[in-house]
Amino acid sequence: MKRHEHLRNLALLAVVGLVLAFASDALSVYMRSFVLFTMMYVVLALSWNIISGFTGYTSFGHVAFYGIGAYACAILVTDYGWHWVPTLGVAAAVAGVIAVAIGYPVLRLKGPYFAIAMLGAAEGTRVIATVWDSLTHGGLGISLPSADTSFQTYYAMLALMVVTVVVAYGVGHSRFGVRLNAIREDEGAAEALGVNATLYKLAAFVLSAIFPAAAGGIQAYKVLYIDPPSVFFVQITIAMALMSMLGGKGTVIGPIVGAVLLYTVQELTWVNFPTAHLIAYGLFIVVIARFMPRGLMGLAIDRGWVRKGMVH
Amino acid sequence: MKRNEAGSLSLLAALLVCAYALPFVVGAWTGNVRLDEVWFANLATVVVGGIMQGGVYAMFAVGLTLIFGVMRIINAAHGEMVMMGAYMAWVSFFYLGVDPLLAMVFTLPIAFLFGVAVQKVLLNAAVGAPELTGLLITFGLGLTMIYTAELIFTTDFRTIPYAPGTVQLTSNIAVGQNRVISFAMALVISVGVYLFLKLSRLGKAVRATALNAEVAMVCGINVRRIYLVTTGLAVALAVAGGALVSIQFGFNPETGVLYTLQAFAIIILGGRGHYVGALIGGFMLAVLENLVSLMVPNGTAMVELAAYGLMIFVLLIRPGGLMGVKEA
Amino acid sequence: MRDLRKAFGGVRAVDGCSFAVPGGKISGLIGPNGSGKTTTFNLLTGVIRPDDGQVIYKGENITGLKPHQVFSKRITRTFQVTRIFREMTVLENMLSVTGLAVPDRLARERAAELIAFVNLTHLRAEYAGRLSYGQQKLLEFARALMTDPDLILLDEPAAGVNRTLLQHLLEQIHRLQEMGKTIVIVEHDMNVIMNHCERIFVMDYGVKIAEGPPAEIQQNEQVLEAYFGRRRS
Repeated sequence: MKRHEHLRNLALLAVVGLVLAFASDALSVYMRSFVLFTMMYVVLALSWNIISGFTGYTSFGHVAFYGIGAYACAILVTDYGWHWVPTLGVAAAVAGVIAVAIGYPVLRLKGPYFAIAMLGAAEGTRVIATVWDSLTHGGLGISLPSADTSFQTYYAMLALMVVTVVVAYGVGHSRFGVRLNAIREDEGAAEALGVNATLYKLAAFVLSAIFPAAAGGIQAYKVLYIDPPSVFFVQITIAMALMSMLGGKGTVIGPIVGAVLLYTVQELTWVNFPTAHLIAYGLFIVVIARFMPRGLMGLAIDRGWVRKGMVH
Repeated sequence: MKRNEAGSLSLLAALLVCAYALPFVVGAWTGNVRLDEVWFANLATVVVGGIMQGGVYAMFAVGLTLIFGVMRIINAAHGEMVMMGAYMAWVSFFYLGVDPLLAMVFTLPIAFLFGVAVQKVLLNAAVGAPELTGLLITFGLGLTMIYTAELIFTTDFRTIPYAPGTVQLTSNIAVGQNRVISFAMALVISVGVYLFLKLSRLGKAVRATALNAEVAMVCGINVRRIYLVTTGLAVALAVAGGALVSIQFGFNPETGVLYTLQAFAIIILGGRGHYVGALIGGFMLAVLENLVSLMVPNGTAMVELAAYGLMIFVLLIRPGGLMGVKEA
Repeated sequence: MRDLRKAFGGVRAVDGCSFAVPGGKISGLIGPNGSGKTTTFNLLTGVIRPDDGQVIYKGENITGLKPHQVFSKRITRTFQVTRIFREMTVLENMLSVTGLAVPDRLARERAAELIAFVNLTHLRAEYAGRLSYGQQKLLEFARALMTDPDLILLDEPAAGVNRTLLQHLLEQIHRLQEMGKTIVIVEHDMNVIMNHCERIFVMDYGVKIAEGPPAEIQQNEQVLEAYFGRRRS
C-alpha cells in the first residue's frame, strides 16, 4: 500500500479518536458506558483476530486473558493500594507471560485441538481463580473502592482502542503479518520459506493476549466488582470470535465493523430479550461458519469494493 | 517411527502414573491422606464410585468418538446433547410421570431424529471441509441449545430423586443405588452398540465408512446415509448418557460445556475415533476425578482441572492417545 | 566449490543413499514412483529428520536443522503438489519469505521483479488460489527465489504445466544456473531431465542405483531395469 494511504487511514483514526474524546461530555451516562463497551469489544475482537484471523489458530479461550487482566487490576488496587492506571501495564505483562507459558505447548496443536485446548485452558483459569482464595478472594469476588470512574475509564479504553487498532493495522500490513497469514495457509510451506513458525505464532499469541488483559483491567475499574463467573464468562470469548468472523477475520476493518455492529445489536435486544440474544449468537455462528466463512469483508472483496489481500 | 511410537506410549504411561499419584501427593501434603481404616474405606468407595460413573462418561464419549471416527468432525455440541437428554428425562419424570430410564423408549428415537436433522441441515456441509468448520458449526449449535434450554427451563439446577437408597457392597463400601443402575444401563447400551457395530450389516458399513469413505462408496455403501445413522446414533447415545446423568447429578443448561470437555478429554485419552478407547478413557477419567475430589482441598472445583490437564498433556505427549489415532 | 553429500540408513524410503551434488550445475534426481525422491528432498530441507546419516552443505553439517534454519543457509525448494498460500495475493505470497534483511520497499521491488520474471505481473493482486495450476507452479518457483538462494530444489516443476509455460520455466532455470546457482530437479518428464541436466542421479527403493551424465544414464542397464521391470534370469 502506498504511504499516503497509510497516512490517510491514520488520520481517519485520529479524527475518530478525537471525536470520541471530545464527545465524552456530551454523552449521557448510559451512552458513555455504551461507547466504552463498544470500544472494549473492538479491542477484544481485534486482539482475537491477531492469533485466530491472521495466524489461523482459532482460540476458544481468549477470555482467560481478559479475566487475568481484570484480576490483576482489582487485586493490586484493592489489596495493595495501587493507583489503577499502572495496574493495566501489570495486567498486560502478566497476561503476556501467561500467554507464553500456555502458548508454547498449546500452539503445537493444530486446528480444532488448539481450539478445544484453549477452551480447557480458559475454564482451568476460571477454576484456579475460584479456588485460590488467598489471592483472588475466591468465589466471593472483589469489590473495588467505590468511585466515579466513568470518565477515567472511558478515556483509558479509548486510548487502548487506538493503540490496539494501530498495532493490529501495523501487524496486518507488514511482512510480519504476511508471514502470520502464510502460517495460517500452510504452516509447513511457510517454514520451508524460512518462517520460524514457533516464534511467530508465539509472538502473535502474546500480542493477542496483552490487549484483552488491559481491557479487562479497565473494565474491572469501571464496574468496580468482579468475580470469576463474570470475568471468565465463556460468552466473552464467543463475542470476540463472532465479531471477527462476522466482520471478516484476517482483516483489520472486519473485526472493528463486526464489534460495533454486533455490540449495538446486542445492546438493543438484550434488555428486552436477555436470553434470546444469546440464542441468536449461537445461530449467527452456525450461519456464518456454514454460509459465509469470510464474513462481511469477504463479501465486500468478492464484490470488488475492497482490494484483495492486506499488502499492496 | 516404531521407536517413536513406543517412546510416546511409555511417556503417556508415565503421565498417567503421575496423574493418579498427584491427588495422593496433594492429599498427603494437606493431611487428607490418613491411612486409617475409615480413609481406606473412603478410598475404596470413591474408586468404586468412579468406576460406576465411568460407565456414564464412557457412554457419552462413545458418541463423540463415533462422529469423529466416521466424519472427522469434532462435535462441540455434544455436551449440550447430553444436557438435552437430562432435561428430557426430567420432563418425562415430573410432567409425564414416566420413569426417566423407561422414557428412553421414546426419548432415544427423538434424539436419533434430531441427530439426523442436524446432520442433514448442518454437518453434511462440514464433512471434508476444513476441520474448524465443523467445530464452529457445532459450537454455535451448542450455544443455541444452551440458551434455548435457559429460556425454557431457566438456569436453576435440577435433580431427579431416583433410587435414593444405597447398595452395600462390603461392610464398609456403599454405593448409591442410582449409580449402580446407571452403570448397568451404560454397560448394556455401550456393549449393545459395540455389538451392533461389530456384527450387524449397517454397523459394518459404519465402520467401513470410518476407515475410508471413498472405498466404502465404491463398495456400494450409501455414505450419506451412514453419516445420518452415525450422527443419529451418537446423539441418541448422548441423550441416553444425559438420562443417566440426570438421576445422579444436578444439572442446568450450562453444565453441557463441562460434559463436552470431559468427553473430549476422554476420547483424546483413549484415541480419537476408537470405540474401546473411549470406554477405557471414560473409566480412567472418572476414577481420577473421584480421587481428586476425595483428597485435594477444594476438590469439587478442582475436579474440572483433572479433565483439562489430562487432555492438554495427552495432546502434547501423544496426540494419538492410548490406542493411537485413526487418521484418514 | 559447493559440495553436498548425504548418507541415510534405517528409513526404508531412503535407505543408505549418498551422493554429491555438483555446485553451479543443474542436476536431476529421477527414479520410479515411490523410490524416495521426495523423501530425499524432505530430509535435505529438514521437514523430516534422518534416522542416520548426514547432510553436508558447503562443508557444514546441516543435519537435523529445522526447515526455517535450513532455509537460512540459502537452500530453498518447491513442492511436488504446489503449496502456495491460496487466500493470499500473489504479492503477499512473495513477501511471506523471510531472511530479507532489506527495507520493505526493496523487498517489494524484488517481489515485483520476480513476479515479472515469471509473467504474473497482471495477476499480482489476485488470490493465489485462483491462478491456474501452471501459474501456481510459476508463483511457487518465483517465491523460492525471493532470497536469492544458492541451492534450489525443484520437485516436479514440469508436472501439470503446459508446454509454453514449461519452456519459459526451463529458460529461467538455465538463467539461474548461469548466475551460478546450484539446481536439483526431481522430474518424471524424461525430456526435461535428459535435455537440461548435466548430472543425473537415479534412485530406486531408496537407494542410488546410478549416477552420471544423461548419455551414460540412458545406457545404464540397472536404470532401464528399474523403469521397465526386471528381466527374468
